[in-house]
Amino acid sequence: MGRIAILERFEHEHEQLDAEHEKQQHRSESHVLLQRNPAMVMPASRESFQGGVFHASIPGGRSGATLSIARGELIADTISEPSMRFSIPLNQCQIDLGGASNRMVFCRTKEGDLTIFCEEKNFAKELDFQSGGMLAGPLKQLKKGLAADANRFRFWLTFSAVACALLLFLGYFGVLWTAKIAIRALPVSVDEKIGTMAFSGMEMGRKLEANHPASRLVQEIVDKLKPHASIPELKFKVTVVEDADINAFALPGGQIVVFTGLIKEAKSAEQIAGVLAHEMSHATLRHGIERVSQSLGIVAAIQIMVGDVGGLVALGAQVAQTSILTSYSRAAETEADLEGARMLNAAKIDPKAMADFFEMLKEKMGDLPDAMAWISTHPQHETRVQSIQDHQKKLPVVQYEPLQLDLKAAQEAL
Amino acid sequence: MQVDIRNRPSFANLHVQLGAGDRIIAEAGAMATMSSNIEMKTRFNGGFFGGIARRFLGNESIFVNEFSASSPAELVLTQPFPGDMICTELRGNTLYLQPGAFIACEPGVRMALGLAGLRSWIAGEGLFRLKLSGSGRLWFGAYGAIFDREINGELIVDSGHLVAYEPTISINVGMAGGIFTSFFSGEGLITRVRGQGKIYMQSRSFDGLAAWTNSHLM
Repeated sequence: MGRIAILERFEHEHEQLDAEHEKQQHRSESHVLLQRNPAMVMPASRESFQGGVFHASIPGGRSGATLSIARGELIADTISEPSMRFSIPLNQCQIDLGGASNRMVFCRTKEGDLTIFCEEKNFAKELDFQSGGMLAGPLKQLKKGLAADANRFRFWLTFSAVACALLLFLGYFGVLWTAKIAIRALPVSVDEKIGTMAFSGMEMGRKLEANHPASRLVQEIVDKLKPHASIPELKFKVTVVEDADINAFALPGGQIVVFTGLIKEAKSAEQIAGVLAHEMSHATLRHGIERVSQSLGIVAAIQIMVGDVGGLVALGAQVAQTSILTSYSRAAETEADLEGARMLNAAKIDPKAMADFFEMLKEKMGDLPDAMAWISTHPQHETRVQSIQDHQKKLPVVQYEPLQLDLKAAQEAL
Repeated sequence: MQVDIRNRPSFANLHVQLGAGDRIIAEAGAMATMSSNIEMKTRFNGGFFGGIARRFLGNESIFVNEFSASSPAELVLTQPFPGDMICTELRGNTLYLQPGAFIACEPGVRMALGLAGLRSWIAGEGLFRLKLSGSGRLWFGAYGAIFDREINGELIVDSGHLVAYEPTISINVGMAGGIFTSFFSGEGLITRVRGQGKIYMQSRSFDGLAAWTNSHLM
């Protein structure tokens, strides 16, 4: 007690100082001793620092202050008027680090009623130097603690950043996955709407009449395969279109388009059945709408979840028109091959015809550059034929019945 | 210069009575009404670049207005949101204000924009803060009521409620409890203030208002 000195500086007004002395002694608590010591008025440390002081005797309890270190004491002269002097002997300093910057050095008395603080860079160094290493230990300890704190903060920051990125990543694929599930849950009528809209908006060659021999032939094959489709309620509609390409495609909902080129080149009605089974499988496996959902991605997922399917249908039709023809994935093609083989087998048609057709297509490939697009997205023909043949072995053994259809007549009518 | 805070706490405004030669500096756009003999000078807030930084980073205006009068005059200053205002006096000490809180100050107060740091930003207390130092009175406002706490130790504040604090206070972000508590208590991240000094808090937060409004939009 009694080592804390409050000094008021009134160097030019000595009488006033005495009066103030009296007043201050009345005001101050017993352990706060007011001294009149001219030697201590002059700052003895080489540097002075800008800082602050907390003490109950200051109006408002706090003030900015000019700090200096002299004769083993930390001295603070308040900036506010009237200027007051506070000091703490260095050997009684309770050192702490903190503040908004985490670099502020606090020096407190043991009682904690007087705090002098400073944020300046060299203050800690000067404090250390002037105390003759007395405060080096506590200062180092505090800095270590701060460094550990900063490291922990950095760790958590990195951890949170990584966690956020992971969540975002998982969330994105989660939504895509949910979209896929949601699309599976959509009624088939949505497929039909998309298919019909896409079909009506497509530019194609002349459509053959329904009673044209080729149309009738194709329709009869579809009728034969239809009972074995995995989605019984799907209404298959086949349209034969005048086009020299050896091609056929399925739109969502069972709209199937067969080009006359394919009918002309087919060696048997079974080969046409093979292609049709493949295309019908695309519809029953709902590859079209899956493809639409992948293209629309999150938009579609959200719309489905919110329940606004109307917008999805319009968007889907647009996507279907541009992407259905060329861009089923290889996995989807293989899936359709195997499902098609199953349907053929169930309809007592030899799935080998499908493989034969692809074989033939392979031979034709060279002089049919237009078919390149179709071929490019389809699996390699060898592997395709192979996988169909492998799959066929797993299917139930049935007695195949040749199709009683007049392919010749249909081809001649074209 | 006599300054009264009127219509407290909901729609507080500053009623400033300027004597001859008095000056007051106010946030641009804060003036609601003034006597015709007041001269208003607009200047960059802390210099050109400082002003731009304050506008885009600190959510304060590029400009501040200095009002002066050669004969007694009256001036009313407001803030854009409902809430209280408070007056505090700087005596060579420093006060940090959250963006948007500043309303007015006496000419002896210096303004600067400072980086508050990543922690403050994560805590939802803003990446920047306005540093006020020097000597003189200053007025700032808040959303809702303002209350202060003299801290000596540690206090937990919900993020978005801190309006002003002294540089002797350190701010740390923390979770309200464990992971489960933090997510489902509705408290989420909290701000841990530590040290010795004063903090000012507001009784409402803009984040809270935004979340509440948002929940009524769907």
